[in-house]
Amino acid sequence: MPAVVTENLTKIYGAADASVTALDHVSLAVEPGEFVAVMGPSGCGKSTLLHLIGGLDRPTAGRVLLDGHDLSTLDDEAMSVLRRRNIGFVFQFYNLIPVLNAQENAALPLLLDGIPAERARSAATQWLERFELGGRQLHRPDQLSGGQQQRVAIARALVAEPTLILADEPTGNLDSQAADQIAALLGRVSREWGRTVLIVTHDPRIAAQADRIVFLKDGHVVDQTILERRDEGNIEIVADAMKRLTT
Amino acid sequence: MSVRYALLGLLAQQPRHGYELRAAFEAVIGGKANWDVRPAQVYASLERQAEAGLIRQRSVGKAGGPEKRVYGLTAAGRKELQAWLEAETERAPEHDEFFLKLMIALATGAAQPRDMIHVQRTALYRRLHAVTARRQATDPKTSLAHVLLLDQAVMHLEADLHWLDMIEARLDEVRRQPLPRPAPRRRGRPPGAEVPSQIRDDG
Repeated sequence: MPAVVTENLTKIYGAADASVTALDHVSLAVEPGEFVAVMGPSGCGKSTLLHLIGGLDRPTAGRVLLDGHDLSTLDDEAMSVLRRRNIGFVFQFYNLIPVLNAQENAALPLLLDGIPAERARSAATQWLERFELGGRQLHRPDQLSGGQQQRVAIARALVAEPTLILADEPTGNLDSQAADQIAALLGRVSREWGRTVLIVTHDPRIAAQADRIVFLKDGHVVDQTILERRDEGNIEIVADAMKRLTT
Repeated sequence: MSVRYALLGLLAQQPRHGYELRAAFEAVIGGKANWDVRPAQVYASLERQAEAGLIRQRSVGKAGGPEKRVYGLTAAGRKELQAWLEAETERAPEHDEFFLKLMIALATGAAQPRDMIHVQRTALYRRLHAVTARRQATDPKTSLAHVLLLDQAVMHLEADLHWLDMIEARLDEVRRQPLPRPAPRRRGRPPGAEVPSQIRDDG
């Protein structure tokens, strides 16, 4: 079963003459463990797509299924629980809490879920050590570089062991070297730790890590490119998508 | 051209025979994938440079084995190498085949530019993916120079991708402009040119 399915996903902002169709009947599927990059010009709908898949917003039409569960059937509380346990988010500007140190920031999703503090901190430490931040766990965000802060953010995204990672321009605020490191790290999140990764990006270096690139324009999928065939499922998904694009 | 200077450089390091020279070149450049030099090219270059007095050669025999030619640098060769190292490096002019294809497609209507952009973008992303994988497999602690070379490949591919995005964004504008046509051929003599005597009207 695909990890993520969108069916005719549509989002319209505003009303009547002032309405904007940000996403127009987008249908795609992401297999478990697949790394998909979503690219396209500014305003093409890629961030909207990510927000709808992550349950941060509701579609105007169409639906999102995560591991077969239709998000439209979930109320706000159930959605909140799903986001906390099944999805890890990574944003462009890290969104770390300034007064908490790296370990506390990374442990936050577990603490919010009522997990005992010691267990939560231990899980956070494990991820921070994997990301070579073991020696900086007690540093606050203002004592870390941009790249280090983003690594803390990715550790936070993974601490609850979600199956799906959603990232919106994760390298947009980083210098070239840090961007390279984060791109490689996100590649490992997919290949080494087996998470499904869906990233919205302008950065070809991130896209180069992906198994597949989906190109959006004016709210539509206009193209898909397979970079690496990890299993047969990859090829079928693209073939279906291309069929839909041409009919 | 630069291969011959690289061979001089490798001989400045130590005298070598032809096979060793080719292997040393491959090692320094980070492998055949980056720059493949055929044995014939190496030996042809060595002969030319020996004739030019830039390298010397001597035969070395091993007991029970065939004779090998070992090459070394002359003083003139060392001077030539130094001049090359200290001079500015010019980039070879690139003829962009994709640009040519695009112009021909626009002129003939034989292919759709957007489809061509899609094909090219797919190819570039696949190459970028492959180079990125190689870069990640190269250890910066022992092979940083090669990582930097692969960084250059990544940057060129990123620039090409960016350029494709620009073309796609302005394709409709390009289409609205008339296609470049050759300037009309001027007939008659250029101004100020003398009329040849046999056709001059003298009388």
